[in-house]
Parts: sequence; structure tokens; C-alpha cells
Amino acid sequence: MKHSDQHADRRLWIRSLIWGLLLVVCVVGIAHAEGLFRWLEPDARQVIYQRAQFYELLGRHLLVVGIAALVTIFFGVGAGIAVTRKKGRDFLPLVAQLASLGQTFPPVAVLALAVPVLGFGTLPIIIALMLYGLLPIVRNTLAGLQDVNEEIKVASRAMGMTPLQTLYQVELPLAAPVILAGIRTSVTINIATAALGATVGASNLGDPIIAGIINGNMAYVTQGALIIALLALTIDSLFDGLQGRLRQRLSSPQRLS
Amino acid sequence: MIELSQVSKRFGDETAVDAINLKVAKGKFCALVGTSGCGKSTTLRMINRLIERSSGDIILDGQALEAYDPVKLRRRIGYVIQSTGLFPHWTVARNIGLVPRLLKWPADDIQTRVEELMALLGLPIEEFAHKYPHQLSGGQAQRVGVARALAADPDILLMDEPFGALDPITRIKLQDELASLQGRLHKTVVFVTHDMDEALKLADHLVVMRDGLIVQQGTPLALLQHPKDPFVESLLGGLERGLKQAALTRVKDHMSSLGPTLPSQYRISADFSLRQALSMMLRDHTDRLAVVDQHDVPIGELSLRKIVKEAQLEKGSMREA
Repeated sequence: MKHSDQHADRRLWIRSLIWGLLLVVCVVGIAHAEGLFRWLEPDARQVIYQRAQFYELLGRHLLVVGIAALVTIFFGVGAGIAVTRKKGRDFLPLVAQLASLGQTFPPVAVLALAVPVLGFGTLPIIIALMLYGLLPIVRNTLAGLQDVNEEIKVASRAMGMTPLQTLYQVELPLAAPVILAGIRTSVTINIATAALGATVGASNLGDPIIAGIINGNMAYVTQGALIIALLALTIDSLFDGLQGRLRQRLSSPQRLS
Repeated sequence: MIELSQVSKRFGDETAVDAINLKVAKGKFCALVGTSGCGKSTTLRMINRLIERSSGDIILDGQALEAYDPVKLRRRIGYVIQSTGLFPHWTVARNIGLVPRLLKWPADDIQTRVEELMALLGLPIEEFAHKYPHQLSGGQAQRVGVARALAADPDILLMDEPFGALDPITRIKLQDELASLQGRLHKTVVFVTHDMDEALKLADHLVVMRDGLIVQQGTPLALLQHPKDPFVESLLGGLERGLKQAALTRVKDHMSSLGPTLPSQYRISADFSLRQALSMMLRDHTDRLAVVDQHDVPIGELSLRKIVKEAQLEKGSMREA
């Protein structure tokens, strides 16, 4: 059992390595693949997006998604914890509904509403991503914490654990795989959604796509879409590996302590 | 020493426990018996304040329960439940060491204590220390549960149907082990069960509950001899009551000295119960057994006539008293 587990674990990490390598190859290589894209758009003046380097766009894209993810995880997991405590239980339905509401707002609408208030740039897209990514995290945090066996919680209390000790040593470790699945969904969706930021002046991997659509240049669109897809696959497979590691830790016979 | 006086618990309009009085002396084993929903588990949980009572007083070692901080109180009371409540993400060793760790014992002391308890409960360290709860059988998991409850050497042990989910053979084995453990450790135990045989076997003090009330309490023998009403009698097994009583009596208490006649060819150890003796008589078609000591040397005799006569006398003397 140990052997096959480790084997599966290694396979997961190898997959993210492959996607990561492909991503790097594209980011570096697209600039040198003019021939290939010329075949896609034979009549265009330019076939390689050149207003910014792809690695710069990738970096800014990651920054936006990363900041949004950190804030969402902080508030999403925090809210999930708060409303499953004795004192916050009254707010459980409210928080669950608010989080659902966040996802019913199309990100485009959030952008349109945010721009007049916050101006053009990166901030509106971060706000939109936060709202949009909150639901999976809140929902999974709630599900994960509520799924922890009641008898185990009673036992932890009966053994003399404080509520905080129960939370950190029992509830969160047991809910971790479900919470992580929520974070994974949220981040993966937001990698794609972040591209919309390009419409409000937040320069990222959405830039080539928007520019391509405006100028009718399919080569630009393809370049942006390709890198975003590879980025999403890389990050998603990283989460897959992390989840596998966590599952193993929760059920592995060999792990000590 | 645990003392409950006029203790009640109400959930909304429903009274789960109704003004009960109960005293468990230090080192005694008290069993709460009753059908489900009779308030026995609620009573148990009021002792470690998992449930706060609605009224009445509970005194623990001479101090009102309120004088204790609930968290600290629970760390000095062992607690065992039917589902074990072991933490699935922790190894057996870590589960057992939980309370000592909460009490911030030095790591070496915890290690020593865990090994001691695993030996005490028949869990070989090399085999079990690093296993996870889901890899254990029901009986093994419950041993770990008991070890965890005993870890910080509490004076008081609360057990809520600890063996209820086990198969009959494992259950009887663990009952025997608990009895012998209690013979050595002398904890003050409050034990909840709906299995009367289990209660009769283990308890010094038997408490029968129904609808939140204590119907009758006393020693197992006293209840068997004089059940207060048909409910208690039916719990005690109705017609089987005679045999249950016999199960609580040792052969050596009923044997007579060796007579001039040859001892019977059928032999029974002096430490066996009268119930086992009766069973042997039925099986072997005899009304006389030779009683032997641990070296298989005859030391007395047991006759069916004498057992029946003494049972009559006992009943008479109890009536007068």
C-alpha cells in the first residue's frame, strides 16, 4: 500500500512538472515561433504580440490571481470557521447566501461597476476575482468543518481540549482536504477569469486576447489563450499533488506522529 | 467520590433527568442501566460538564462542580464512548498521549506512559503504536479508547456504553479485562450500559433508570433478590433471575466440607460461579460436584439440594431484614 501510494504521489508531481515545462517553453518560445503563427494569420502585419514580454504578462497575471486568492482564502476560510463556532452559528445561513450571491454576479458586471469607483487598473479585477472566488472556498470550508464526525468533536471536548485546540488539532486537519479542493476550484477559475482584467487596463495575459479580438488577429488570441490554459493546468495539477499528499497523510499507515 | 443530589436536566419542555440522587464512593464501580432515552448518558455527561445540569448539586471530591474549570476538570476525568471518538488522523500512540500532552507533560514522560498503557491493555507497541484508528478492529480501537482515558491517571472514569458496538465474544473479553483492570487500579467508575449482564458482572453499585428517574439502586445481589417492581425485574431477566444471581455467587461460598463418601467424579474449581456449577450438573446429569483448588486437589463438595436450601434461607433472612 505504501509503495503504490508513493508511486501515485510521484505521478501527480510529474504531471505538474510537465505542464510547468510546457508553460515555460511557450512563454519563452512564442516570440521565436513567427513561422507557426504566420501560418495562422498570413495577412496580418504582426503575428507575435509585442506590446509586452510574455513573462511580464505572466508575472502580473500570477500576481493578481495570487493576491485575490490570499485575500479570499483568508476571508473565506475565516468566515467558514466563524459561522461554525457556537457564537457565530446564527450567521451561517447569511454567509452561505452571501457567498452564493458573489458567484451569481458575472465578473464582467463587477468590473463595470467597480471601474467608476476604483478607476481603471488592477484593483477592479482583484475585487471581481475575490467576489467570484469566495463561494467555492466558503462552501467547502463549511462542508469540510460540518462533516467532521460529531462524536470526534465530543471526544475532543471530553478529553479537555479547548475550543481552539479542537479547531486547530482536530477540525481543520480533518477538513483540510475538502477546504483545499475549494481553494483549488477558486484559483483555477480565477486564472481564466483574470484575463478579463485586460478590458479595464489591468495588463496581464488577457492583453493579447483582447488586442487580438479588437484587431481581428487570431494569432494574438491563440498566444494568450495558450499560456493561460497551460498556467491553469500547471496550477491545477500542483493542487492535485498537494491533495494527494494530504490524503496520504490522513490515511497512510506509515506516517508517524 | 461523586455525589449528585436532586440533579435535573431539562431540554426545553422535556425532562431528561428528574431530580436524581446518586452517590459513588471512591474506588467503586457504579453502573447506570436502563432502556435508551432513560437519561443515563445525560447523567454521565453532567459529571464532566459536557452537559450543564438545569438544577441540583454535583459534588466531586468534596467540591462543588462549579469550583472546577470545565477544561481542567475534563482533563482529570477519563471518558470512554461507544464510537471510541479516536482522532482518525492521529496514530494510536498519539491518540493515547492526548491528555498528558494537553497537561504539558515532558515528552519522555508521555512516551513512557503511552508504552505503559499499551502494555496494560494488551496492545503490542511495535504492532500498534504507529497504526491509525481505521486500521484497528472494534475491540482494538476500544482498548485504545480506554488507554486514552487512563492516560493522565485520572481518579474518575466515565464510560458511555463502551462495549455496546462490539461482537459478543470481544465484548465479554473486554469486560473481563476491565474487571481485572479495576481490581488493580480502583478507579471511581460510572459506567452506562443497557446490557444488564454487563452491569451485573462489573458493578459494585447498580442503578436502574427509567424516564429520567432512578427506579432502584443497590448492590447487584440486592436488586436480584428484591427487584422493586416488574420493570426492574424484567430488566434483570425475569425467569432468568435465579441464574443471574447464581452467576454472582462463588462456588466456594456454598461448598460443604468433604464427607465420608467418595467425592464426585465431576470436579469444579472453587472460584467458579454457582451458575457454572449448576450448568455442569445439568450437563453431566449429577447433583453433586467435587470442589477442587487450583492444584486440582478436592477441598469440598457442592450439592444441588444444599444450594436450593441455602437460596431459600437467604431469601427468608432478607425478608426479615
